[in-house]
Amino acid sequence: MSALLEVRDLATQFTTRDGIVRAVDGVSFTLDCGETLAIVGESGSGKSVTALSIMRLIQEPQGKVVSGQVLFKGDDILKLSDSKVRAIRGDRIAMIFQDPMTSLNPVFRVGRQIGESLILHKGMSRKEAFERAVELLDMVGIPHPRDRARDYPHQFSGGMRQRAMIAMALACDPDILIADEPTTALDVTIQAQILELMIEMQERTGAAIIMITHDLGVVADMADDVMVMYAGKQVEYGKADGVFYTPRHPYTWGLLDSLPRHDIDEKGALLPITGQPPSLINVPAGCAFHPRCPYAKDVCTTGTPVLTDVGEGHLAACHFSNDPEFQRRASQHPGEVA
Amino acid sequence: MTDRHGASPPHGTNGPTDVDGHEVRHEGTTLPTLPGGLHETTTSRTLWGDAWRRLRRNKLATAGLIWIALVVAMTITADLWVPPTFGDPLSVNTTPGANLQPPSLEHPFGTDKLGRDVFSRVVYGARVSLTVGLLAVSISLVIGLLMGALSGYYSGLLDAFVMRTADVFFAFPYILFAISLIAVLGPSYRNVFIAIGILGWPSIARVFRSSIFSVKENEYVDAARAMGASDMRIMFRHIMPNAIAPIIVYGTMSIGGAIITEAALSFLGMGVQPPTPSWGLMLSDAKSLMFAAPWLTIWPGFAILTTVLAFVLMGDGMRDALDVKMKD
Amino acid sequence: MFKYVVRRVFQMIPVFIGVTLILFILRAPGVLPGDPVRMITGERGMTDALRQQIIEKHGLDQPLHRQYVIYLGNLLQGDLGESYQRGRAVTEIFADKLPNTLRLALAAIVIEGIVGVTAGIISAVRQYSFLDVLVTLSTSILVSVPVFWLGMLFQIFFGIKLKEWTGGAFYLPISQMSSAQFPDWAHMILPAITLASVSTAYVARIMRSQMLEAMGQDYIRTAEAKGLTRRAVTFRHALKNALIPVVTFVGIDFGVMMGGAILTETVFSWPGVGREIFLAVGQRDWPIVMGGVVIIVFLVMIINLLVDLSYALLDPRIRYGGGPE
Repeated sequence: MSALLEVRDLATQFTTRDGIVRAVDGVSFTLDCGETLAIVGESGSGKSVTALSIMRLIQEPQGKVVSGQVLFKGDDILKLSDSKVRAIRGDRIAMIFQDPMTSLNPVFRVGRQIGESLILHKGMSRKEAFERAVELLDMVGIPHPRDRARDYPHQFSGGMRQRAMIAMALACDPDILIADEPTTALDVTIQAQILELMIEMQERTGAAIIMITHDLGVVADMADDVMVMYAGKQVEYGKADGVFYTPRHPYTWGLLDSLPRHDIDEKGALLPITGQPPSLINVPAGCAFHPRCPYAKDVCTTGTPVLTDVGEGHLAACHFSNDPEFQRRASQHPGEVA
Repeated sequence: MTDRHGASPPHGTNGPTDVDGHEVRHEGTTLPTLPGGLHETTTSRTLWGDAWRRLRRNKLATAGLIWIALVVAMTITADLWVPPTFGDPLSVNTTPGANLQPPSLEHPFGTDKLGRDVFSRVVYGARVSLTVGLLAVSISLVIGLLMGALSGYYSGLLDAFVMRTADVFFAFPYILFAISLIAVLGPSYRNVFIAIGILGWPSIARVFRSSIFSVKENEYVDAARAMGASDMRIMFRHIMPNAIAPIIVYGTMSIGGAIITEAALSFLGMGVQPPTPSWGLMLSDAKSLMFAAPWLTIWPGFAILTTVLAFVLMGDGMRDALDVKMKD
Repeated sequence: MFKYVVRRVFQMIPVFIGVTLILFILRAPGVLPGDPVRMITGERGMTDALRQQIIEKHGLDQPLHRQYVIYLGNLLQGDLGESYQRGRAVTEIFADKLPNTLRLALAAIVIEGIVGVTAGIISAVRQYSFLDVLVTLSTSILVSVPVFWLGMLFQIFFGIKLKEWTGGAFYLPISQMSSAQFPDWAHMILPAITLASVSTAYVARIMRSQMLEAMGQDYIRTAEAKGLTRRAVTFRHALKNALIPVVTFVGIDFGVMMGGAILTETVFSWPGVGREIFLAVGQRDWPIVMGGVVIIVFLVMIINLLVDLSYALLDPRIRYGGGPE
């Protein structure tokens, strides 16, 4: 069975006054029905642009998908006509955005905003769409959904707005739900509720989820696959267990080390990754991560590492991904290798 | 804003409510706050340098600046070349045939009904316009900054009083207020800029007041106060450098507004009196000859348009260059 | 809501007192040159008895503060006094003029709304295109044009030159006199366009910047992600947000036009409120000036209140409760 979504060698660039920004540079992955893929990375690593590229929502002419394929059920979204892409958007592939405060239109009632895609894609009447919106609000756990559907977004709390966003995204029963940092703007307690809701909704609707986050902790429980991005490139990609338990890229180690962990007995405090993510206009030569990598060697400044299989479909892009000695020492005793 | 836009500088809103329908607070009219607090002299030098470079990159603003420079140069040197070449702006020649001549080589803009050279009068009219514009805005600035400072710095009852007075000024239909003032003061060159100046203060006061409010919140002002700096010192060392950019932008745009208002008042006979060459007055004279001698209408109006436009473009450019956010 | 309206009405009182007070100070004897009684009778010789009669009739023998209190008292009863020279009640005079001003202002509002909004939308949707540059440049020019000059140019061009060039086949009437071959409203076209000119430029500018701001918002991306067409996103989601400040501006501008149309009214000899007041200033007919300004300020404040209330209808985030702002 072919994958639900297959992205091949996707590259997206933005033209700015200061130069060309290679926001996404050669990203490939697959997503099967009902699966959850987590795309992880710092802000500016290209994860949101990847999502927008899949939806073909990159603002032209500043931004442009310059190469690659986005095969949805075998059709390349990048080559479809505008009207065909619109027929997919919101219907087969839906999206939830980071900030529920600004992602809802302040001048339309919540029920109407949820119903909008139903009218568009399912040919419902306003009345039918409203009734369905009430059901959806009920489904995502909003009390008194009939009254709340007549409210405006500002009358909702942040968590409730994100619930409404989820209801809106699930309205047409999509095959894929792309969630772009859906919990980042929310309080910690609400974050857990929203994640739980997403898992519950996935069980109910069977939608595949692409979960974009900078926080590996968020996806630990729900991801089947994890893709780690750095400076527009994939640095590690594989099954969640593999990436979490046998990470092969120093950047992934850094991400894991900067998490508060309860599962292993840790001696030291949290280890944040030092330095800033690079400018995407002047990406460092060689491995883009080398200036911040505590294990960088000469080869890292010159040769660009390629994504290589480190076993069982687990891919990593580090010159030393397949060097067992380096991997063993570095992952167990960070800081001693350099 | 209709006829009386004359004095409302193109970006200000002259009503008690702003374009957003909220009470006008011009909360946006502040510069990005200076990092590091007390070192504003070095920071502001690069700030102004950057602004100047940005301004020069803006073609329209540069065109405005050049036009203003040209007009200023023309009025300053007018005595040297205009009367000998085209005739004195005041010399009357009513011999039949000498008056109401259409434009020709000798009289590029034609002659008016008293046989005076229109080009010469347009050039000398610029003197009146620029002088009135500058003096009126200076008066508005003096009153407006003082009122804004009192209001913004001391807050409380004084603030309420100043702002309610400003409300009364805003509630008055602008041009009618100007006309009433002139009726009392008597129409004359001097009284025109005084009246326009008096009427312009509330906008300046509001802009300045909101700048002060936003700067006052900053820690370095608290720090300066904690170190025992006097009110005056805080005002001039810490608040003024930050509030100056919106004031400059607003002032530039106001000059254009004042020029239009002067023309309007003179057109209505409530401004500069004959025979002084003022553009508005020339248009007033042209009104009865609008169809017989259209050149009398065209050139003075064109002069107003280009000069005001130059100030508007320059104001726009400065607003962008200094990154002053005003409600458009 | 009701509380809000009451509060706003109470806030009008000090403004009213301020405006009338300023006018009273301006007309106080010693401030204004000339003897008001002379003005009333038109400078001709008069008997002391007649003089006394006039003084008493207009209450000019009272001290100024007393006159002011009397004026305010009459004002509360809707009495704005009587014109010095026309022998008519001020309210009666303005009852004649106000419909003219309203008609002209309404026509101008329609023009500035339609033209300004359309130009602003085009400019924003096609940002940086030739049309956008054209709109931006022409709005800069329009805000710099003296309206009375524009009115004169219109008359020269549309009234005379066009008539000459087309051999009388096509032109626009410049006053009501020439209305024989035109429908009754035709003479309003040029003054209405003139009056609307500057505001149209403002509306276009506000519309453009608001539209651009709205189109950069997150909810636009949400709407696009739903699969809506570009058109639906622009005209449903962005436009409704962008229109709110524009509607406010247009509403306030309508108020401004009540008294601010003097120049247009002068150029086109339009018998409106502003022109009436202007003429009265020249004649020192203070009851007309005072009454006119009071009427205008009152109208402006009512209109502004209505605009603010309509704001609550347009923008669901605004609710006028009785509480502090």
